[in-house]
Amino acid sequence: MVGVAAQAVLATPAMPPSDQSLRGCKILIVDDDRLNVRVLQGILAPEGFTLADAGSGEGALDLYAEFQPDLVLLDVELPGINGFDTCRELRRLHGEEETAPVIFITARAESDDVVEGLTAGGVDYLPKPVRAREALARIHTHLHNRILMEQLSRANAAKNRFLGMAAHDLRTPLASIRGLAEFLQDPALGPLNPSQRDLVETIHDTSRSMLHLVNELLDVATIEAGELKLQPGPCDLGKLVEKSVYLANIDAARKDTRIVVEPADATSLTLDEARMKQVVDNLLSNAVKYSPPGATIMVRVGRDNGTCSFSVIDQGPGIPDRERHKLFKDFGRLSVQPTGGEKATGLGLAICRKIVEAHHGAITAENLPVRGCEFRVTLPIPA
Amino acid sequence: MNFDGTILLVDDEAHVRKYIGLILTSTLTAPRIIEGSDGIEAMETYKSANPDVVLLDVNMPQQGGIETLRQIRAHDPDAVVIMLSSLTNRQTVEEALQLGAVSYIRKDTPKDEIAAIIRQTLAECFGDARQDDGA
Repeated sequence: MVGVAAQAVLATPAMPPSDQSLRGCKILIVDDDRLNVRVLQGILAPEGFTLADAGSGEGALDLYAEFQPDLVLLDVELPGINGFDTCRELRRLHGEEETAPVIFITARAESDDVVEGLTAGGVDYLPKPVRAREALARIHTHLHNRILMEQLSRANAAKNRFLGMAAHDLRTPLASIRGLAEFLQDPALGPLNPSQRDLVETIHDTSRSMLHLVNELLDVATIEAGELKLQPGPCDLGKLVEKSVYLANIDAARKDTRIVVEPADATSLTLDEARMKQVVDNLLSNAVKYSPPGATIMVRVGRDNGTCSFSVIDQGPGIPDRERHKLFKDFGRLSVQPTGGEKATGLGLAICRKIVEAHHGAITAENLPVRGCEFRVTLPIPA
Repeated sequence: MNFDGTILLVDDEAHVRKYIGLILTSTLTAPRIIEGSDGIEAMETYKSANPDVVLLDVNMPQQGGIETLRQIRAHDPDAVVIMLSSLTNRQTVEEALQLGAVSYIRKDTPKDEIAAIIRQTLAECFGDARQDDGA
């Protein structure tokens, strides 16, 4: 038996070892020259790949949907639409992330052609005449990458499901703990001595901040899984902001902070009110969190040039330049600390950005010349 | 709020029954609370105890709140049912409202807001006769 194996290896001394894990992978060969197709079949069939071929770009587009290849070998010079356009069309039809990797086969190995192929969405190219070893080595690499990408995407989806389930199942018990602790604080149930009161307060505050974290994790999982479904309706942005400011001022008063909203004209928009309220609340609570006690926070609502916007201007330390890139990312916690010992999850602004972008709007942060930072949300007014 | 009717409180989780039960007894003058932990049992209890109000969890093993709501409303088209939801899933809540639930409570809402929803719903369903007329 050892002899046979050795012989098999010796018989193809120049070939890379065949990769059992890739057997059965589907490769679509697109070339108008039958001889080239046969050469490629001769190289690929012994590897255990499942093969299909098309003689034109149009034929490839038709066959792709039915064959669902794991990789496409695509000649550049084809009758009808050329290889580059075929590649662009495949990616347009099937999604940039989902389309199988495309390797161009070209006699035109000039740098410009290579660049055009790669910008058209190809992952690699093979010069004609095709050399078997090189072709197989490159194909193996791209198939492995494709498999890893699929595993990654499945793992990410599983992570989001897990995050969603865990957050969901933690939420109700946490709400009960928070609520029951509130009952314990109520003098109607009997007096607590100071250290008991202190313990109950800790239970209450801790469960409240955990509930907040869990809600944010649930939001991230929902949004990442593509399940952020907006429920748009008519909404007056000015009124929405004023309502949020009224409630936020109750919390702000604990830090001797004031939120002042400049009166605005009616600004009627179509948006998901509950989600946009989440954005406003988050920006307001951040402004209170990072401004020193005793600060005044300004809120403005305005409209111009087909957009509607609101800004929250705090008196905090601003965004350090070198940390700016983290600001709107998941878990993008900065070195800036809340001024009253409040908690930060690093998720709030990432969620805000996703909600605003789902409304086709933009969220920005600008440091002010002296101190403080202006967070601005701009939303389009439909024509 | 002046209310001495019977409330059937159905949730599979004991901590929720305890928490919502406390809100009920602290908000209403003399509610009689009967607890249930699943939908099938709740339906039986509804028939035997004929409560004035049902607080009904959406998500329960065996038989969920939506199916239980359907059965209760089929048995008694005037039944007053408030859904308890842990979901952000607005579709389920909307389905319940279409099936005749009078309102819903998200269980992670702060307790004072839960109490306010209960007071408001009871006032709407039973009129002012039971609302604070002793005050």
